[in-house]
Amino acid sequence: MPTLSESHRNVMEALRGDRKRRPRVDTSSAAGLRAMLEDGIFEFWTDAPEPPLIVRASSLRNVKDTTDIALSNHARLRGVLVHELVRLFSVGAEISSAFDDAFRAWQLETVAGELFDYAQRLDGDDLARLATDVMSHYVTLSRALGVIPATFQPRSAVRASVMMHGGTIVLRDVIDLMVGTTLGEVASVALFDVTTSPLGTGAERSMRYHALVQTLRSGVVPLRTSVFSSATGEMWTLDVDGELLRRSVNDVLDVLRAMVKHA
Amino acid sequence: MTTFIHRRTGVSELNDLIRSAPPEIVQLGDDHRRSLAARFRAVPSNGHRRIDSWNVERAGQPAHAFRWSPATARRTLGNAALRRMLRDPLCSVIDAINREIDDQLMRDVAGYAQRGSMASWFATLHQSELALVKADAANWTLQMHEIALSIEDQWSVCASDAFYDVARARTTLRGRRDLEVVLEDRCVLLRIRSGSPGKSSGPGLRSDLTIATLAHPQGIAPARMIGLWPESGVCLGVDGTMSDLRAGARDLVRTAVAQQRYHQSIAA
Repeated sequence: MPTLSESHRNVMEALRGDRKRRPRVDTSSAAGLRAMLEDGIFEFWTDAPEPPLIVRASSLRNVKDTTDIALSNHARLRGVLVHELVRLFSVGAEISSAFDDAFRAWQLETVAGELFDYAQRLDGDDLARLATDVMSHYVTLSRALGVIPATFQPRSAVRASVMMHGGTIVLRDVIDLMVGTTLGEVASVALFDVTTSPLGTGAERSMRYHALVQTLRSGVVPLRTSVFSSATGEMWTLDVDGELLRRSVNDVLDVLRAMVKHA
Repeated sequence: MTTFIHRRTGVSELNDLIRSAPPEIVQLGDDHRRSLAARFRAVPSNGHRRIDSWNVERAGQPAHAFRWSPATARRTLGNAALRRMLRDPLCSVIDAINREIDDQLMRDVAGYAQRGSMASWFATLHQSELALVKADAANWTLQMHEIALSIEDQWSVCASDAFYDVARARTTLRGRRDLEVVLEDRCVLLRIRSGSPGKSSGPGLRSDLTIATLAHPQGIAPARMIGLWPESGVCLGVDGTMSDLRAGARDLVRTAVAQQRYHQSIAA
């Protein structure tokens, strides 16, 4: 059973770990996991839905555990802006004003949408509240992340979209930060997810889901998957192994069963 | 009969796909070029026409007006950074991207950058916006480098896309290509794509294949054109056969016809 280790002071240290103790790169598990998923889907699948069913990391979080505040536009916009800050950190950008820099960066690639409209409607007081909120998350994040060395090959907002069951199911994911490479003799890919909410049981399922989708996408099992809460400064890290990935397959099948039932 | 191959993007699968490219060398001659030009000339045009695989995949539907964004700049910037990294192995990805951006900014300051170009767009950006552009380009470069390093044969980053001006038809064809793999007497072209492949990805690859062949001085077709979708872990391939080249040319002409129809309906 993988263990959760809490409250690392240095994120990069936790992500990379001891280089000498890394396992050999696993390129053979992906096909088995895909087959497990396909077999599991076949057992309860009825008709092909149109459009296809989409599973995201958020689908695996228990919605009952999530407070309404976390689903509000304010919380979602704060989350988006903190993710932009992670992207800026990944290239070693100097951040002079956390809110302004994140907001500018976000607006560069977002020109429409519900959150965009919400941001346009914010008045001076709301903007000031949001800026203070983002700033507090930025301070926690910047202290934990520190400088990300370029030799770790950091990639931010890494997207994945894995089609299953003839394209009728799509597993989508965005990993906030990924370091390491899939090439090499030993596993080195570490996945890092940032959330602006406190960590809960849903976060653990999300960590597993990130590892599963990354394995299915690249065919290589990542070394580690982790989640960091910029609200509490807490970080959970799991070493990825066969058991963790199989548990994630079961998580995804449970979500799909519920989706089919409610469709 | 056209070809269409589907594989996962694992290291061994990609190398198998490259090495299993057909050994026959197919060549387009002057007759083929004249015939294609005649077909394009038969399609009326209001101005200069530009067609690429994206137009083919969208069946000629007018796209939104182009605007620079981190997503539209990442390929140009990322490929240039990778070429720089290959010239200077001590240069990190971020350093390479920074130097490319500096070069672009210098062009703008020196007055060599045209209005609407990437260089002039960079000059308008705030530091944080530029950092986001770098982050997107870094993702592209690292992904490209990882794919390239997994190829066991000799490869190079393409210096530019393939362009072909159709004679007296006011038409420019643009074929995208990112990596070229040399296999003894023939080559395989690779194109990296975002997102997931759709139903029209095959025709898109075939049009890239046809344009690459037309742009070749001797009209020699690549043995295979491979499209990689790393986000989905999928790659598709089309072979450089005469039937695939014909299908690609037909799709390009059809796209020109569809574009003309859209223009007419807008004008009406």
